[in-house]
Amino acid sequence: MNFGKLIERLAQLIPVLLGVMVIVFFMMALTPGDPVDIMIGEQPISAEQEANLRHDMGLDLPPVERFIKFLGNAVTGNFGLSFFHRRPVIDVIAERLPATIELSLVSIILAILTSIPLGVLAAVKKNTIFDRVSTVGSLFGVSLPGFWFGILLLMLFAVHLRILPVSGRIGYAYEVDAVTHLLLIDSLIAGRLDTFANALSHLFLPALTLGLPMAAILMRVTRTSMLEVMSQDYIIFAEAKGISRTRILIRHALKNALIPTVTVAALETGSLLGGNMIVETVFGWPGLGRLVVESIFVHNYPLVQAAVLFYAVTYVFLNFFADILYTVLNPRVKL
Amino acid sequence: MKKQKVILFTTAVLAVSVAITMPMGTAQAGELRVGYTEDALTLDPANHRARTTQTIIRNMYDGLVTRDPNMKVVPQAAESWKAIDPTTYEVTLQNGITFHDGSPMTSEDVKYTFDRLTRDGAIGGQTSPRKSLVGPVKEVQIVDGRTVRFILSSPWPQFMAFLTLHEVVSKKFTEKVGADGMSKSVMGSGPYKLAKWRKGESVIMERFDGYYGGSQDLKPVGKACSETVIFKTIPENASRVAALLAGDVHIINDLPPHSVKQVENNANTRVMTVNGTRSTFMALNTQKKPFNDIRVRRAVAYAINRQLIVDKILGGKATLINGILGPDAFGKNKNLPAYEFDIAKSKVLLAEAGYPNGLDVTLDVTGKDKDIGQAIASLMTKAGIRTKVVVGESSQLTARFRTKGKPIDGQMYLTSWGNGSLDPVGIFVPTHRTNDRGNSSGYSNSTVDKLLDAANTETDQAKRAGLYSQAEAIVNKDLPKVYLWVAQDLYGVSNRLSGWQPSSDGRINLHDACVK
Repeated sequence: MNFGKLIERLAQLIPVLLGVMVIVFFMMALTPGDPVDIMIGEQPISAEQEANLRHDMGLDLPPVERFIKFLGNAVTGNFGLSFFHRRPVIDVIAERLPATIELSLVSIILAILTSIPLGVLAAVKKNTIFDRVSTVGSLFGVSLPGFWFGILLLMLFAVHLRILPVSGRIGYAYEVDAVTHLLLIDSLIAGRLDTFANALSHLFLPALTLGLPMAAILMRVTRTSMLEVMSQDYIIFAEAKGISRTRILIRHALKNALIPTVTVAALETGSLLGGNMIVETVFGWPGLGRLVVESIFVHNYPLVQAAVLFYAVTYVFLNFFADILYTVLNPRVKL
Repeated sequence: MKKQKVILFTTAVLAVSVAITMPMGTAQAGELRVGYTEDALTLDPANHRARTTQTIIRNMYDGLVTRDPNMKVVPQAAESWKAIDPTTYEVTLQNGITFHDGSPMTSEDVKYTFDRLTRDGAIGGQTSPRKSLVGPVKEVQIVDGRTVRFILSSPWPQFMAFLTLHEVVSKKFTEKVGADGMSKSVMGSGPYKLAKWRKGESVIMERFDGYYGGSQDLKPVGKACSETVIFKTIPENASRVAALLAGDVHIINDLPPHSVKQVENNANTRVMTVNGTRSTFMALNTQKKPFNDIRVRRAVAYAINRQLIVDKILGGKATLINGILGPDAFGKNKNLPAYEFDIAKSKVLLAEAGYPNGLDVTLDVTGKDKDIGQAIASLMTKAGIRTKVVVGESSQLTARFRTKGKPIDGQMYLTSWGNGSLDPVGIFVPTHRTNDRGNSSGYSNSTVDKLLDAANTETDQAKRAGLYSQAEAIVNKDLPKVYLWVAQDLYGVSNRLSGWQPSSDGRINLHDACVK
């Protein structure tokens, strides 16, 4: 890997982040609605006390001045206090991030493990029943609204069959020392298989709800690009040489066909790491997506700004990671 | 070969599924779980402004006073109180109250609690957002180990009602852990102590066996019934109902009206209701045509069949109101005339006002009020007031209608105002006083303003109630808003639950709640 390229990417990050900050800050500032009003709610307050609260939250300054102040603090890693949690936003985000990362990773793994073999099979068995069923199935996978599908799974597995929990991340009776803050890994580190199974049982339905549309997309991408690769001359040449079908598929075709799949997977991963408001809400999953959407509704500016910056950084790095993977999959590709 | 791999893969997937779908353990005896819409924002009782956060915290922190099931203010940690004069209240603590670490609660702690609420920058540099809920409290003086005096800068008859909104913290502990420690740990004197806060997911509490027993006015007095209580965050309505039906939780708040039947039809669950404190109304922009004409406003009131909407959409679970105050509020005028549904009367009024062929208007609603908005619109349209419903986002509508004196941008706004304190000062003043925070109809009537101001400082409670009653009669006539109803708060509960009653102020106090 080229170290210089990494530095270049990091340098590219600066204008991206600056742009993101400007857009998010002014979009939030110009959206009607006043965080002070939202915070006070319906309880009584005097004009003086309201003004004090506004000052406390730094909202008594004009937007441009606020932005400059925010930028100055952000450079030093200080993103301010969450208006409503009254704690540093970094702490609030950090509390929620592990749940989102864990759910995203499991969903991605689930999606990749099912979509790539299915995509390859659909391409190999083009125009057979299997191909048609899986293509129609993937259409369903993409189209099912997460909200509806999640509730459906919940009603079936948690209410009627009662074999999976309704919501949350882990049972109350289970406790595990936080090392990585990812419960599956932490419970394995602690050698607690019961805790692992419990965490997995909580994770299963949200991961399925989240992973299904992703699996459907990846399957279709894999199928299309496999079909394209399979008609290339070098595959026909390999067949002519008498190399076994499996070997051709895996060593020659799949490796090249995976490039678009990797791109799509990286982008999807980025959006998963942003948290999924719908799945997190349905399953009471204590992740970032729910927190950020709730924060947008109540105009919790500092939290939204910090979270969006985090998303931007994540996206840039995932793209970079996908680029590196290209070079591994196809050495002719250079960064 | 290929077939073998497919079979192997399928078997692996099935094996994983079986491994994780192990039978779920049933709830342990003595463990009570609440499916609640929101998580606590913080555990510091002085550093938030959310009723939901307070509902959770209040099971671990007791206040000086609380409310009984009829919403009457009763002592809690306090043994008694008396008003020495309109600006001085003396409160004496019960004997033998301890915090969760066993240290006694003294008047020092009470003074410290209120200093923390009222002094600027007292919470690690931040000022308590609850400061305005302490009113004109200027100083807290220590009389002896168990007695304090609250000195007010001006008379404030609602003092005791607002005292129910504050919890006493331990001075020693707060000074030790600071603002950061207070946001995530608890040293209260309530019936439960904090076991673990899994942020965004649940607050787990254990029974405090050294509990002094709580309010002497609320029987039974003694330690809590359940060994463990858990507030589990389940924001989605359907999931909360599912959790109740699955037996995963024993109480859920905010049961949607359309799920009432589902909960009632389940053999293991039932619905519990309580009069809410949130008045729903439709604000009419009195600053501009057509609603600056009282005849048009009245025509709207006559055009709406409120009972029909309550029956069809709210499952009959609401009480109609003819003024802003709910049925349980202090000073409620019980003799207000109703604008009974009467399309003919509505049409006559419209014709008198110069709209013989009716008129076109727009009703702004938030997403959650969409169904009700459409029902109102169709009723109004039948009466000739052709109404278009526009769904908007809450904070944007607030900015357009609650303008504090600036011109209102809109015609009609279906909204509501909560009144947890049940004192008119929390709802009547903000929604009807000229240019006040919740005055979404641009209403201004100097007589009403005078009555509200006089009531704000009147210490004779009977006279005070009379002032509000008079003011309510005026707004019933002026009709700046079409007063609709106070919906009941709906809870779904497990049949295994006993000893718990929902409360009008929305709190879920679990001291007496047991699970069989």
